[in-house]
This record gives sequence, C-alpha cells and structure tokens, in this order.
Amino acid sequence: MSLKPLPLNTSRFEGCTLTGALSVTTSVRNSISVVHGPRGCAHHNFSLLHATSLEHDGIGAPAIQSSGLLEKEIIFGGEAALEQALSHAVSLSPSCIFVLSTCIAETIGDDAGAVCRKDWGVPVIPVPTGGFLGGVFEKGVNNALCTLSDMAEPRSSEGTVNIIGEKNLEFEVEENFKEVSRLLSVLGLFVNTRFVHNISDKDIAQIGRASFNVLRDPGACPVGDHLKVRFGTAYIPSFPAGLAGTIQFLEMAAAAGRVPFRSAVADEIALQEEVLNGFSDLAGSSISPNGLKMTSPVYSIVREVTSALDMGFSDTGCHVPVPLDPPVGTAGIQRMLHRWRRAIHA
Amino acid sequence: MKQIALYGKGGIGKSTTSANLSAALSLQGLDILQIGCDPKRDSTRMLMHGSFIPTVMDLVRERGDAEVFKKDVVYTGFNGVRCVEAGGPEPGVGCAGRGIIATFQLLEKFGALTGDVIVYDVLGDVVCGGFAMPMREGYAQEIYLVTSGELMSLYAANNICKAIRRLSQRSKSTCRLAGVICNAKNMPGEEDLVAEFARRVNSSLVQYIPRDRAVQIAEIHKQTVIEYDPASEQAQRYRTLASRVMENTTFTIPIPLEIDELEALALEYLQI
Ligand code: SF4
Repeated sequence: MSLKPLPLNTSRFEGCTLTGALSVTTSVRNSISVVHGPRGCAHHNFSLLHATSLEHDGIGAPAIQSSGLLEKEIIFGGEAALEQALSHAVSLSPSCIFVLSTCIAETIGDDAGAVCRKDWGVPVIPVPTGGFLGGVFEKGVNNALCTLSDMAEPRSSEGTVNIIGEKNLEFEVEENFKEVSRLLSVLGLFVNTRFVHNISDKDIAQIGRASFNVLRDPGACPVGDHLKVRFGTAYIPSFPAGLAGTIQFLEMAAAAGRVPFRSAVADEIALQEEVLNGFSDLAGSSISPNGLKMTSPVYSIVREVTSALDMGFSDTGCHVPVPLDPPVGTAGIQRMLHRWRRAIHA
Repeated sequence: MKQIALYGKGGIGKSTTSANLSAALSLQGLDILQIGCDPKRDSTRMLMHGSFIPTVMDLVRERGDAEVFKKDVVYTGFNGVRCVEAGGPEPGVGCAGRGIIATFQLLEKFGALTGDVIVYDVLGDVVCGGFAMPMREGYAQEIYLVTSGELMSLYAANNICKAIRRLSQRSKSTCRLAGVICNAKNMPGEEDLVAEFARRVNSSLVQYIPRDRAVQIAEIHKQTVIEYDPASEQAQRYRTLASRVMENTTFTIPIPLEIDELEALALEYLQI
C-alpha cells in the first residue's frame, strides 16, 4: 500500500485566499506583507511559506507581519492596530508594503483601504483577501496579481514576454520556468518579468512592456484578462504541457511574438524524439492509472507518453509517480520518465 | 436568582419598562441589578435620576479591561437598584455584539452578576448572534417581549421568538419565553391584537401598559413613574407587572408566526 496521498485526496487548490495572495506578495523582494487580522491568520501562512521556501532551497523567512487583532480590536475596530503595524513595517524600510485583509477584518468592516491611502512614504497596497468572502487559494493569487499589476504603466517593447502567475509553492517552479524560457529563446524571444516570482517592485513596474504574456495555467485567465484590458497585452493561457502541447506552444508563442517558427519546431520535434529514444527500455512495461481521473489534464499527457513509448496502461501495471499538474515542456516529460523508470526498475 | 431579559424593537419603550419594572421589584424588597445593552446607554438613566453612567465599553476602550473595576461600572440608583450600561463601539465600527459578550464576562469576573433579579435590557431588532448572547449563554433565562401593536414591533418580537425557539433546541439551553408586555401606542384594538399575538406564539400577555402622560412627566423630572408618582394608575400597572413577573411559572418554547400570518393578524385587529 502506498502511503503517499493520492492527488484526489488533497485539497491543495482550496483553502484560504490569504494563502494564495501571500504566495504572490511575499515573492516581491524587499517588500513586507502585513496580514490585517488575528495572529493566527499570519502564523500558519508564515509556517507554510517558510517550510516551502526551505524545500526550494530558499533563504530566509517570508516577510510577513500581523496587525495582531485581539478582542478589543474586534469590538472597537482594528484600524488603529493596522496603523501601528504599518508604522512598524515602514520603520524596516521596505520598498513597498502589501496589506492583506482577513475574515475578521472584513467582518467588522475595517476600512483597510483608507488606512493604506495615508502618506506612508512608501507604496502601501491593499489586497482583498478575506477568506470567508469565498474563493480559494487561486482566487487569492489572482487578486494579488491583478492588484500588483496596477503598480505599472503601459509601455511597449517588442520581443519580450511576461510569465504570469507562476505557482511559487510548486515543487518544480524553477525547472518549469527554465523550460518555458528555453522554448521562448529558441524563437528569439526573452522574458521581461516573472510576475510574480522573486522580483523587485521596479520589475513590477515593467510589466506594461511586453509583446505578450504567458500564464502558468488557465486558472490565471482573470489576471490575463485584467492585463489585456490594462496594457493591451494578449496572452497564452498555459505553460506547455505534453509532447504535442509543447509544439503547439511554440507555434502560439511565435504567432503572438510575430516571429518565424518552422526551424524551432523542427528542432523541438527532433529533441522530443531523442528524449523518447533515451527511454526505449520502458517499451512493453505497463503502468497503472493509480486513481487518475480520465477528465484530469494529466491523464491525457500520461496516455500520450505511454503510447509514444509503446507502454501499457492498466490497473495491474506498476504504480508510478504521477505529477499533480501536467509536466511542463519536453524537459518536464523527461523528468517524469526518469521517475517512472526508477519505479519500474525498483 | 431570577435572570430576566426584555427584548424588543428599538424605541419601543424597553428602557422605560425595564427601569420601572426594576424600581417596582426593588420596592418588594428585592436586590435588583439592571444591565442596559444598548449603545445609547439610556436604560438606567431614570433610575440614576437623569445621569448617564459611564459604560463598560467606554472604560475598556479608554483604559483596557485590566484597569476597569467593579466600582467604575456598577452604580447604585433608586432604592438600591444597581445599574450597569454595557455601551458599545462607535456606530459603524467594530462589533457591538462581541462587546456585549465581553461586558458580561467582565461583570462575571467581578462577581457582579448577583442579586435576586437581574434585568437585562436588550435591543432586539438587531438579531446577530452577539445580541442573542444573553439568551445563548444562559444569562437571560426568562425572556419578555416588549411590543406595541405596530407591525414593525410585532415583526421584531416575532423574530425574537424565532431566536428563542432555535436556542431552546440546544441541550444546555435554559432560555424560555416568559410572556409579552404590551407597551401601547394607544391604537384602537391594540390590547386584543397583542394578546392574540401572544397566544398564537404560544405565550400570553403579561401586562398591558397604556401610553400615559405620567411617564413623560416623570421623565421630565428624571425619575421613573414608580418614584415620581407612586400613586398614579401607571405606577400601579408597573407594580402589577413586577408581581406577575415574580409569580410567573409559565415559560414556553414559542412558535413564531409566518410573516403573512403576522400581517393578516394585524389587519384583522387594527381598525384602520
Ligand atoms: S480563512 Fe479567514 S480566519 Fe482562516 S486564515 Fe484565512 S483569513 Fe484567517
């Protein structure tokens, strides 16, 4: 029996909007995120982000502070507590401060926006994140991205691409980014801004100048639409997934960037063949769907890869690790196949 | 110790009724504590000869609860009736319901929730959980609904019936409906209407209090009717109310009416 929880049993896409928003705002270098609410709302998010950043070999703790609402503030209103927290945050000289609301702050109706509008000497930007108002992790990510995008002005620059809504907490965030930049670079395009992954507020100000945007996945479409309205930038709704999907991505990116694609596509097809040849020893072995739903986007990729390699796919097959999200690009498929090989030959 | 609460629509005359009831009960030789739960803090004013006493919430806001003591919040008014005003946050800020909860907990800590009868004077057209708190936590065990024959105040009374019914389903709940007090606007047919309303919600009319100038005159003199004009007919009504409250043993789980039922009832009785 595998003790590893199946993707079906996890709720990683649910939870609180605050967590989603913090996964974005804490990725802005030299910023501070002030969580306006009871300490608990900040604490478990701090722990989660800290633990994740250690996993990713990150350094330091996320810059999160709490306005620390207690019963007195619940009764009399917490705006004064927020002001105090902001004064403290300002004294640490950040480049900007994000204020994230919580269930409590929204319930008692604190006007965090009005407190933020005071002259603090640094940009203080409110992000609406009251967990109980509905929406989940993803909504928090999108709210934060849309709010942050308002820090930039429209400008134009050919040949540059923004990467929008990277999943900062995902295991292979850097590898996935590298693969997307590689695919863009073979078309002669380069990345303008990672919105938002480990960037500064100056980088945020640049997001208005890109020929197009690439979203991490279709969940970020509301952000893509927001940027389209604000800066007129079109978007590709997802990172490349699967063999054919990667080729299609190259074609879409070439069209969006108005650059030729034929030779890049031919090279990529050759690269994919080379990768698959490297795993020809897996032909004939069989893997198990392992609870994977047919409607899952990962399912179609797994089927595509097994059929390209002449592998079987049945309930009696070997239990191989299947990623939660579709593997990104040709490199993502290569990493997945390495893990399959270890499981099959174990 | 009897713990009673008067609930009803804002402006219906709960404070006048509570203060006169407390005064009348105190004249029976009982030790009475009256707690006003309205941010307006006028519940105990007539018992205090017109002065507004400081509210628990104001003091907590200014000093923090560690610096607030029993003597700062419990005042002695007419005939030894002890008076407390809970107060509340500024309008539109924070959570007044939670303020009521905090006030009761503070009074409990002081050992101030004692006496033969505690009278809670609670505004009842705001029915968030915080204002149902006296019922929910067993502070108020016998609920009296104060209403006139006006539809809006019957609505509020009916809503409180819903709250009592809901809360009575909890295993630890001790809160029951003890009766309806008609604080009349002197509309024709009003007493019959309120009596019928009381019957339909599975309770009874405990006392009919007509609108009487005696109340206004007493209030101009910053006193309850019981104190200012004890010989008046109105004072007698409050004394009867006090006796009935003390003798009352019929506590029920109310059956709230549907809105159209309530409207039909009002139409039937009021001569328009
Ligand atoms: S759900 Fe509400 S209370 Fe819980 S962490 Fe999120 S904001 Fe805080």
